[in-house]
Amino acid sequence: MPPESEWKKGSAELLVLSLLEDQPRHGYDISKLIALRSGGALRFHVTSLYPLLHRLEEEGSIEGRWVEKAEQRRRRYYSLTDRGKKELLSKQQSWKDFVAVIKQVTGIEHA
Amino acid sequence: MPDWKQLVRERLPEAESGLVDELAEHLEDYYREMRSGGVGAEEAYSSALSELDEIYPLKRSQRMSKEHRLPVGDDLWRDVRFALRTMRKSPMFVVFVVLTLALGIGANTTVFTVINTLILNPLPVRNPAGLASLGTDASKPIPYADLKDYQAKNQVFSSLAGYTSPRIVTFAADGGSERMFCELATGNYFSTLGLSPAMGRFFSTDEDGTVAVLNYGTWQGRFGGSSDIVGKTLRLNSGVFTIVGVAPQHFIGVNAIMGPDVWIPAGMMERLMPNEMKNALTDREKAIFQGVGRFKPGVSQTEAQANLGTIAANLAREYPATNESRKVAVRPIRDAIFASASTGSSAVFFASAVLFIVVGIVLLIACSNVANLLLARAAARRQEMAVRLAMGASRRRLVRQLLTESVLLGILSGAVGLLIGYAGLHFLFGMLPSASNFITPKFDATVFIFALIISLATGFLFGIIPALRASREDVAETLKEESRTAGRGRKRVTLANSLLVGQVAFSFLLLMTAALFLRSIQRAYDIDPGFQTAHLATFMTNPGQAGYGKAQAKAFYKDARERVMRLPGVASASWSSNLPLWGRTVNGLEVEGREQRPKAEKITTILNTVDRDYFDAAGVTIDRGRVFMDVDRENSVPVAIVNEKMAHDFWPDEDALGKRVQLPGEKQMRQIVGIARNANYSTWAEPPQLCVYVPLEQNYSDGMTFYVRSKGDPKEILIPVEREVRSAAPQILVSGIRTGRELVDGGLFQAKVGVMLLSVFGLVALGLASIGLYGIMAYSVNQRKREIGLRMALGAAQASVLRLILKQGMTLVLTGVLIGLAASLFVDRLLSRMLYGVSSSDPVSALAAVIVLLGVALVACYLPARWASRVDPLVALREG
Repeated sequence: MPPESEWKKGSAELLVLSLLEDQPRHGYDISKLIALRSGGALRFHVTSLYPLLHRLEEEGSIEGRWVEKAEQRRRRYYSLTDRGKKELLSKQQSWKDFVAVIKQVTGIEHA
Repeated sequence: MPDWKQLVRERLPEAESGLVDELAEHLEDYYREMRSGGVGAEEAYSSALSELDEIYPLKRSQRMSKEHRLPVGDDLWRDVRFALRTMRKSPMFVVFVVLTLALGIGANTTVFTVINTLILNPLPVRNPAGLASLGTDASKPIPYADLKDYQAKNQVFSSLAGYTSPRIVTFAADGGSERMFCELATGNYFSTLGLSPAMGRFFSTDEDGTVAVLNYGTWQGRFGGSSDIVGKTLRLNSGVFTIVGVAPQHFIGVNAIMGPDVWIPAGMMERLMPNEMKNALTDREKAIFQGVGRFKPGVSQTEAQANLGTIAANLAREYPATNESRKVAVRPIRDAIFASASTGSSAVFFASAVLFIVVGIVLLIACSNVANLLLARAAARRQEMAVRLAMGASRRRLVRQLLTESVLLGILSGAVGLLIGYAGLHFLFGMLPSASNFITPKFDATVFIFALIISLATGFLFGIIPALRASREDVAETLKEESRTAGRGRKRVTLANSLLVGQVAFSFLLLMTAALFLRSIQRAYDIDPGFQTAHLATFMTNPGQAGYGKAQAKAFYKDARERVMRLPGVASASWSSNLPLWGRTVNGLEVEGREQRPKAEKITTILNTVDRDYFDAAGVTIDRGRVFMDVDRENSVPVAIVNEKMAHDFWPDEDALGKRVQLPGEKQMRQIVGIARNANYSTWAEPPQLCVYVPLEQNYSDGMTFYVRSKGDPKEILIPVEREVRSAAPQILVSGIRTGRELVDGGLFQAKVGVMLLSVFGLVALGLASIGLYGIMAYSVNQRKREIGLRMALGAAQASVLRLILKQGMTLVLTGVLIGLAASLFVDRLLSRMLYGVSSSDPVSALAAVIVLLGVALVACYLPARWASRVDPLVALREG
């Protein structure tokens, strides 16, 4: 497996939750942002993204609702719930711990 | 603008409308962006669509949803095709599963065929339940005269017939003499059983002429199945018999194990029986017939017993000399079917039940191993399941799909298993003498149905738990990678661990028992049977069957002995009426000076008629007194030699020499002139039996076995001796040519078959347990990858990881071994009476079983352990 896809697999939730931290977004927006911010290194297929969003919604980490704004098409926006915020915090913490361990072991300062 | 919703719906009819809307929005966004970036409409459209089309789980869902609209048959067909495609993707997995299950199914099919042949359908006659067997209360045969009385006087049987056990007769073929087995049967024998001939006719009810009915197998084998066989003649002993018919295929007589080549009317007794049996038609002492009767409608076995019992009591009053205290017993026909299996039908049922349980457990082991493999595989397929569930496939649908896969695997394994079972049967029945009059396995439709049912059940059994588990994974949990380390995974391993411990214990038990039996057999060869086997060769002859009179036969015995004695490799030679380990017993020995015993308590003893030099040739030591000599003639003082046991039992405080005994049917007392060492007369390593030897001169027999003691290897004298015997009398059949070693092999045959079966099943079980062990260890290493990676990242050496995993696996194995050891102490105690000179807790056998098992288990553990020790920490941690 190429490293990129493995990396993506393990951290998809962290990515999605992080992107929703500051504002609600719709699916297309999320997928575009991930592609943009990773410089095209990461891309989500619709078939993994939407099941993931629905799952996070079922778990209660995010909340989706249909929004119709003037002069815009109807879209489903997702926002973080309280539970999602906690979830994000804990994921961020464990990610930091992980990176720290790797740093300690490998001596790499700038991962 | 394309209608995105419509396009999505076409491809994902199962998806809920919310998801369709979202996907449609997404595609539209994508399309618009492409367009605004200057991409042509056509290209943007197909690019957007490819997002949907190229992705395999969605395509799959699309296919599935179409199935819903199709009738069930097509639905099933699609499931099957899909399962076949999945199987093609992982051929190694399929081969592994099919081999594992096929071993289990094959073993079950073999054992079931044996049961089908012996127990379910042993007697291919009309309504076997309406038949009963008739014998004495000890299941012994009854005299012909008694049988006639029962036939005439009973009110419970619509028909009562009699038959003897198969007797050896000399068949004069074109090239010389051959051995044939012949059963005497009353005229109504075949009609009582309700059979129709394969060809020609059976005996008429009062038939007693020189006619014969051939066994189907004999007709096929010895006479090439020639269509003009009816009307041909057979030369048996000195008589000529006309073949009037052929018995139906698979019928080899009432006894299911071994039957005759030919049936002859009972009235022909005198022509075919040895001289001491010539008057068996009238003499109420000579009991050689078994009865088989068909109940009148509504008659029960108890009623029949009461009726026959009354007749027996009347006979006892009428003929007190012979029939006093003789009882008759009406038994279920299956007792007669297994009459020659020395221990009767219950032993056959017991052995079959034990075998069936053993192979049943082997199959369960195979199923649990495959279930484990599927569980591990289900983990790999969780993503696929999750996507399909997310896209709206119902759980039932997925379970059915997964079950189709496992049942298909089961059927495939069943087909291979049938082949294995067939090979197993060949192997098993190949150990029987290859004669047409032996039982042949019934590999029939019942067996096929059994194999089919067991395959389907197997597929269901090993498939259902993984299927339910895989499909239960809800969308939420599955894509959450971290859930791998959840507690449920551990529970799964625990269940698998206990199964594995059980498997190890079971295979250890089998191996241990096999090793015990093997050692016991090795020891058995060292047991002193009381006669010599190292330089012994035996040859059976029957001058009486070749039409020889007493004087002629005696001349032949003398001539043959003198000729053979002149051969260079021969140390000594003599004649005996008994073959080693096939001792003939007589009932009713009288000891001088003792009260006459009631009929039921008469002394039973081995009786052996021997020529001079017998004790030298056979290597039986005379402790005291003398051997038979030329002075012991027909008209000199009757003499006998008895064995130690008899001397000790009857004259514990006196010298038996000079005392006198009387043999049943003889008028004079015989003086004891010698005491011989005890020997094994009927079975190997038997407890001592009483035995009386009498000289041939004083007790003529028209069928004798030639004992030759060789100077060197007995194999080297087999051919020269046979040549000399033949040249002394070309028309006499020489059969049963065996060395001492072969006689012992024959005596240990059952034990050897037991060892072989135990070893085979033990090794199969061990193989399956190793597969299981490997599967579990591999699965657990995979689950613990992250932990292992972390350990290694934190500085654990490869060797210590290797040790860690090995320890985990071997702990399971050792637990199993300990349990197996405890169980074997218990089980082997049950077996101890079948063991020769080895205690049931034999440390060498236990050690051997432990070493074999640990060796194999170590390999099965080592592979995953090595794999674990090579885990790349970085990769493992990322994956986790």
